[in-house]
Amino acid sequence: MLRGIGRRLGERLLASLPALFGVVVLTFLLMRVLPGDPAVFFASGPSAGQEEIDNLRREMGLDQPILVQLVRYLGDIAQGNLGRSLTTGQPVLADLQRRLPASLELTVSALILALSLALPLGIAAALRPGSLVDHAVRLVCTMGVCVPTFVSGLLLIYVFYVVLGIAPDPTGRIDIFASAPPEITGFLLVDFALAGDWEGWAAAARQLVLPASTMVLFVLAPLARMTRASMLAALGSDFIRTARSLGLGEARIIVVYGLRNALIPVLTIAGIVFSTMLGANVLVEKVFSWPGVASYALDALLAADYAPVQGFVLLMATIFVLVNLTVDLLYGIVDPRASAA
Amino acid sequence: MRIGRRDGLKGLVGTAAIAAMPRDAAAQTRAETLRQVTGNTINTLDLTMPGATRESFGLAMNTYDRLVAFGRKPVPGGFIFDHTSIRGELAESFTASPDGRRYVFRLRPDARWHDGSPVTAADVKWSLDRHVSSNSLAKSQLQISSYTSPEQFRVLDPMTVEVVLDKPDRRALMNLCVPYVIMINSTLAKRHATADDPWAQTWMKENTAGGGAYTVETFRPGEQVVLRRNDNWKNGPEGRLPFFRRIIAQTVPEAATRASLLERGDADLSIDLLASDVPALEQRGRVKVFSTPIANGFTHIAFNTRMPPFDNVKVRQAIGAAVPYEDMFQASIFGRGARLYGADWTELPPDAAFPRPMPQHTDPARARRLLAEAGFPNGFSTTFSFSAGLAAAMEPLAALVKESLARVGIQVDIQKMPDAQFNTFQAEKRLPMFVDGATAWLPETDYYVKLYFTRDQRWNFSSFNNAEINALTEQAQFELDPAKYAELCRQMIGILGREMPELFLWQPNHDAVMARTIEGYTYQYYRQIDFRDLRRV
Repeated sequence: MLRGIGRRLGERLLASLPALFGVVVLTFLLMRVLPGDPAVFFASGPSAGQEEIDNLRREMGLDQPILVQLVRYLGDIAQGNLGRSLTTGQPVLADLQRRLPASLELTVSALILALSLALPLGIAAALRPGSLVDHAVRLVCTMGVCVPTFVSGLLLIYVFYVVLGIAPDPTGRIDIFASAPPEITGFLLVDFALAGDWEGWAAAARQLVLPASTMVLFVLAPLARMTRASMLAALGSDFIRTARSLGLGEARIIVVYGLRNALIPVLTIAGIVFSTMLGANVLVEKVFSWPGVASYALDALLAADYAPVQGFVLLMATIFVLVNLTVDLLYGIVDPRASAA
Repeated sequence: MRIGRRDGLKGLVGTAAIAAMPRDAAAQTRAETLRQVTGNTINTLDLTMPGATRESFGLAMNTYDRLVAFGRKPVPGGFIFDHTSIRGELAESFTASPDGRRYVFRLRPDARWHDGSPVTAADVKWSLDRHVSSNSLAKSQLQISSYTSPEQFRVLDPMTVEVVLDKPDRRALMNLCVPYVIMINSTLAKRHATADDPWAQTWMKENTAGGGAYTVETFRPGEQVVLRRNDNWKNGPEGRLPFFRRIIAQTVPEAATRASLLERGDADLSIDLLASDVPALEQRGRVKVFSTPIANGFTHIAFNTRMPPFDNVKVRQAIGAAVPYEDMFQASIFGRGARLYGADWTELPPDAAFPRPMPQHTDPARARRLLAEAGFPNGFSTTFSFSAGLAAAMEPLAALVKESLARVGIQVDIQKMPDAQFNTFQAEKRLPMFVDGATAWLPETDYYVKLYFTRDQRWNFSSFNNAEINALTEQAQFELDPAKYAELCRQMIGILGREMPELFLWQPNHDAVMARTIEGYTYQYYRQIDFRDLRRV
């Protein structure tokens, strides 16, 4: 069975290569079709003239025909070089390496939090459809989806930081005057735990609460609604009626027979939600000065800074492939029949 | 060495102890730490690198010294730079020859680089050579004051440097004060130079080889930069050390968050809050606001003078008479700035100061008459562009322009463009009419006019080509007699008032919002913070 999983993994990864290649080429071309010349944008010193623009363009290889640029870029990628960002002045790979853990830490925390809220809420709503609980859950979900993340983020900051003063200042992953843990994984919670610095760990966790809550509000709806719908379907099926008629305990019926059968669509949605959160949490990152990859890519896009945008899209595509793969593997665990297919 | 699991754990515990310590130390020095919050990014430690952001210029003022520096003068609530009073920074003293062609700089005997080695004339010569030779932003900046070749810089003795010019140039001394002209520890830099990179430009992007008031402790572009005071620094006014031991410049993209941090007292200073937020902050009174019109800049509407119908001076004058200046001033920046319209001189201004109010008045009847005389009695259609980055101020302005021009028959299509696209179109001279801001580092009238109204180059926004202006700017740069210089400048301003290649609107305020305990803020011409002047009381 393990060999089977290994082979399937290999096949899936291989099959995703053409898609990744397509994404790279498409982004490359799109960036160059967009109006806006990075050389002009960045050569904006008070005395910068045509000479500076031409120099920058030469340095970035923009004076070459597009095809030559593309071949060079593909060659660079093959060697693990994603180019240099003009916005930060650093190699894109180094930037992404430093910023990806920040985004992942935020997204994973938010997803765990969201699932731990959405599953009970969805189940509760499914157990008593049409009841007050069901309506309350629907209301919370609708509100969460309706309010854009930058509004809910700013609101949370206003209430918990400005008015109540109980949240730490909402900038970045760690208090600005505190020192960072030794860099091991880049995930602050993990690094602080490894270093045994629990005071630091708590501080980092406190920084996470507001941005993670902002994201939870936004993704609660799809997760809770999907849980409710598939739970309803599962609870209405024959095997549940059989289990009930056999007098099995209610908890066992709901969790083992109901939930387990209802989880597959929820997993699918969770996978999609995760990828979306990672790429689309740019507003949350902006509002909370979170040094993640999404705000990095947006800054680069506004400045027509090609290399970081291309690197970001490639990274996101790769993550999307990996997440889908993980979700597929999880299907197998949740429902053994799925792995046979 | 083999590290067992137990040793590894010990190591981790040790690291934790070290990690815990600075937290307490930092708390003690909070009063001596300045936390700046900004929406922007420092992208290089070497500000002469093409592509350096304005924030990088500000950083380098604090980490590098120059030979000479501008002074400052008090204004209500703070200070502004004074380019007419120049003091020695790395130079202890300097003299100019009577013919204005030679400057001799005597270095401070006790000046040291960050690594402790003494500052020598050879370092200064190497730095100046780098600025005129290497492919950098400094090169074109130094060209504007006739510095073009390493031969102009000579070492007279280990502590004395001579600078020689072909012609006496009004800007020769003041141009050595600007951010780009950093003095570099050449011994250190040369160690990191390569055959391809003789001026160590790659290394200096990530490292500082200077001797300024601060050293860089942490450099994380897009997140934060932490500076630590160089306690051996003696090159400030009267040799004073800066007050703050530590500076944290943190990137906080959201302007509302920056404002909250300041009001809560967690941050100390920000110079890029939304102009619309500043009055409310001022009113609540939890923070101190220092506002002063940016004396060395202006907001303007540029016409492409080589593109019909704007090649016709009457069309430009007609638009100049049609737009509602005062309404625009209020709607765009809430009247927070200095007006550059509504002057009552006609032919020539009373003095040579610039930017200054120009003889532009709202007069729709005159606008219609001028349009008819220009051959457009029924108006025409055109576009009006601005960059999305300035949308908060420019969107209301554009609406008023569109409305007022419609009344005289000109149909305007408003184009709001992403910044990079706007800059590209602007540089390629593809925009018929647009609004933008402009500043000059050397606030000399002839320099403004030469930079913004002559030659085929990027900053000649209106593609203006006027033989008289061209001749006047060439002459004025080398005119050392103040009276004659002023006369030349008055003529230039007179021509701009008559020909209207651009409409001058106003100088918006520079707003520095700071904790009530911060004093000594100076508005600098490069529109960044000089941390060396600030203190907490």
